[in-house]
Amino acid sequence: MKNLATPASFVPGQPDMWAFVLFEAMLFTGYFSVYMVCRMQSPELYLRSQAQLDLRVGVFNTLVLLFSSWSIARCVQAAREGRHPAALRGAFLTSFLGLVFLASKVLEWSREIRKGFQFTTDGFSSFYYFLTGIHFLHLLIGFVVLGVVVYQLWSPARRSQELVETGATYWHTVDFLWVMIFSLLYVMR
Amino acid sequence: MSASATRTAPLPEASRSWLGRVAWHWRYDPKLELWIGWWAMIVFYQLYGLLFFLVTRIQPPPDPSFDVPRIVQWFGDRHHGLLIGFGIVFLITGMLGAVNALLAYSMRRMSVSPAFAYSYLLIYSLSAVPGMLLTCIALVVGAMRPDRDPRLISWLYDFAFMAFDGTMGVFLIGSLVWMAAILLDRNRVFPKWFGYLNLCNALTEVVVAPAWIFKRGVFAWDGAITWWIDMVVFVIYTGVFITLIRKMIVREDFGTGPLPE
Repeated sequence: MKNLATPASFVPGQPDMWAFVLFEAMLFTGYFSVYMVCRMQSPELYLRSQAQLDLRVGVFNTLVLLFSSWSIARCVQAAREGRHPAALRGAFLTSFLGLVFLASKVLEWSREIRKGFQFTTDGFSSFYYFLTGIHFLHLLIGFVVLGVVVYQLWSPARRSQELVETGATYWHTVDFLWVMIFSLLYVMR
Repeated sequence: MSASATRTAPLPEASRSWLGRVAWHWRYDPKLELWIGWWAMIVFYQLYGLLFFLVTRIQPPPDPSFDVPRIVQWFGDRHHGLLIGFGIVFLITGMLGAVNALLAYSMRRMSVSPAFAYSYLLIYSLSAVPGMLLTCIALVVGAMRPDRDPRLISWLYDFAFMAFDGTMGVFLIGSLVWMAAILLDRNRVFPKWFGYLNLCNALTEVVVAPAWIFKRGVFAWDGAITWWIDMVVFVIYTGVFITLIRKMIVREDFGTGPLPE
């Protein structure tokens, strides 16, 4: 709960979460850089392997997550205005969209594996499963974070705006990372 | 600790010699045990870096795709380093007891359930076995029995590095326990951002899993993602928690409420 005596933060939610965002951004920059270097070493192989992916699935995943970013932003806005039932609906909608993303990712993986496109097939496939897998893990943690947001919004005795915004910051980070992964794996030729 | 805290202690004089100040702390400082744990941590991590990188030269890790003659040669090149280096490691491993106790103490000072501290203590007490000792034992055996079948030496090589790089699950759970304790704590023992940094560290423990599958490339045990990036995160994480624990000891008031700033 935010202490009234402390000056207003210049970022939404806990500044501590922004430290996490920065650190994760640096970490993923490292992963992306390694991917780019490997891709430059064998561009033909990566292009051939990349053609196995269905761009439409990637676009669908991206739209779902962008929509979930919109819904969590609506949740934060509603909580700021004291409309907590609307904020709760926003948090639930975000969770639902997150579940849609997870389900579509699992389906995509199982289809690719059935086609023989596996973790060890080639350099590109390894990065594909690694990057989407580590993002999947972040999304699973996101459900715990959304649980905290719902817990806060549920009872008038809690309702820490700071924690709601901290949770939203985490969720946006997960979406942001996905947009980068989508661009690198599905779009970039 | 509480008994010594109640002693009447003359203040240490700034003009006293370094040895005099150490003697004063030894006799009167109520935080003596905490400082011993902290210094044990400093000494252990310094020696750890020195022994693993310079004396035994097993880090950065060698190529997992070496063939059998190359592995036998690898052991031969490091024979004395492995024996001396890991001999010292076996001697100093006990320092981890003090280190783990200090980390668990940080959680006991928080407003959270003691279950966090005890589960962390249990997990980290066991983690040295797969995370360090198995590697040391396997490599010492390889160095001390060069006359054995080269295929057995090659097996020891794989076993040692698989154990070292591929058993991060215990550290992952430990980091998550510490993270949860910090985020739930109301005594402000550590800043919340360090709780989130624990999450970053835990996630990098997952990243090493592909080292079980790949023998070359960025996901092998010497790979850019599996080793180099993880090592950078580990060094930052370790440096941060050593600094924050020092700050915790300085702020410690042996109360039960929020730690003073």
